[in-house]
Order: sequence, then structure tokens, then C-alpha cells
Amino acid sequence: MWPTLKRGVAAGGLVGVVYGLFTAVVVHPLTASLAEIAHHGGHGHDAGAHSHAVSETTTAVVSVGSGVLWGIFLGAALGLAYYFLEPAVPGSSATRPYVLAGAGFLTVSVGPWLALPPVAPGMEHQLAASTRLVLYAGLMLAGAVLAVLGTALYRRAGDRRRGVAAGLAPIVAAVAVVPLLTPTVVTAGGLSTDLVAAYRGLVVFGQAGLWFGLATAFRWLGPAPTNLDLTPHETQI
Amino acid sequence: MSQTETVHDRIEQARTELTPTQIAVGLALAASLGFVLMFLQDPMVHDAMHTFRHGAGITCH
Repeated sequence: MWPTLKRGVAAGGLVGVVYGLFTAVVVHPLTASLAEIAHHGGHGHDAGAHSHAVSETTTAVVSVGSGVLWGIFLGAALGLAYYFLEPAVPGSSATRPYVLAGAGFLTVSVGPWLALPPVAPGMEHQLAASTRLVLYAGLMLAGAVLAVLGTALYRRAGDRRRGVAAGLAPIVAAVAVVPLLTPTVVTAGGLSTDLVAAYRGLVVFGQAGLWFGLATAFRWLGPAPTNLDLTPHETQI
Repeated sequence: MSQTETVHDRIEQARTELTPTQIAVGLALAASLGFVLMFLQDPMVHDAMHTFRHGAGITCH
């Protein structure tokens, strides 16, 4: 258990530094600029409503540091989950970290985003924080259920290609349909639809990239993968 | 590692590898981290993480 956890933390440290740089160079300047636009360009907002408890510089430093820690935290979680769940994760030793990271992304980010989409600065949530906290936990559970369901469908399908299609089907369907069914819980906050879409795209890209990087680093730090380690299940199909 | 292993085997393996003290320390650490995360709702810390939370798609205001 210890070597796998160590490998996860190391992968998290490497990827966390890259994600911290991404936060410093892209996310922070963009978010801060959008906050400016939302404060000064939007109507009906009085300046006092959005005043922050700390300075701009502190926000920058702490946000970048949080990015690094976020990478380490998710890396540790991936390592620990990999130790326990590896036998249940489909794929070869080379692809399993990616499958598990995908399940992590689904649980930690995509699930909650189904009903609580990422918001740009200036956009306001309409639900109370306590309601959202409960909702967030429920949606994470929904994301995890989707991942388990996808794995089960993959195993039931006859061959690998059909298995991948069957496994991805409920996930793609949920991502396509659920956001349309759930009520809008955020206000536009004076930003254009295009800008909000672009900002959301960046957030999704950042988190997906983070998980992809974690899986890559985790695999790279582990033993060299061989072609002979297919599970009995996969040798059958 | 053998490929006929199951998740159950891994849990058993962890049980034999780790002493009860180690498990207790691990759980205590995880619980304390959770507590600190709750404490981060404090406005000063919370605001300082502002752009990070937006970037990660986790927002609370």
C-alpha cells in the first residue's frame, strides 16, 4: 500500500506544480480580469457587495499554492484508490491508471457540474451554500455510480470495442441530458454567454488535464508495463 | 502481483500490512484534514483561495 500511495503523492506533486503554474499564468489573471468586468461593467452591483477580505496579491499566491496542494491531494487519493481498486479496474496495467483517473474526474468534477456548473466571477448561485453542499455530495455520489455502471457495462459486453462503447454510453448520455433537465441555479452576472461558455471550457480543460497528467505521471513512476498482464477476464474476450 | 486478486484481497492485504495504530493515525489524519477544510470556510482563507476555487469549478458564493 505504501509504495502505491507514495507513487500517487509523487505524481500529485509533479502535476500539482504544473497545475499551479497553469493557475498562475492562465486561470488567476483571467478570473481576476473577469471579476473586474463583472464589478465595474455589470449593473445593479454596488462595489461594496463584492469586496474581499484579502489583497489581490494574497489571492494570487494562495490560489497558486492551492493549485499545487489540489494536485497532491488528488494524487494521493488516486494512489490510495488504485491500491484498493486496481483488481476491479478494467484495462491493462498501462491503461488502468487512466481509467481510474477518469472515474475520479467523473466523481470529483463532472458529477457535481451536472447540476452545479462552474461559474465565472460575478455569476451568483441562487441556492444557499448549505443546500449546495448537500447537493454537491449527492452529485459526487452520482458521478461515482456512473463510473461503476460504465465499468459493469464494459465487462458485460462481448468484446473490447463494444465494451468501451457500452461503458461510455451512460456517461455521455448523463453529460448530454442531465444539464438540460436541471434548473438553472446561477445568474449570468453581466457576462456574455460566449464568455461564460469559454470560461467553463477552460475550467473543464484544466480539471480534465489535471487528471490526465496524474494518470500519466502515476503510470510513468510505476513499474514498466508489460503486454502479458491482461486480466483473465480480458484474455477470454 | 497476481492478476486473480480481488478488491477484497487488497483490503485484507492492507489489514495485515498495517498495524491498528497506523490505521488509527491514518483515519485521524483524514478526519483532521476534513475538519481543516471546514475551517477554510473562514472568510479570510476562503477569499484568498478565490481564483483557485473558480478554476477548479468549486465555488461557494
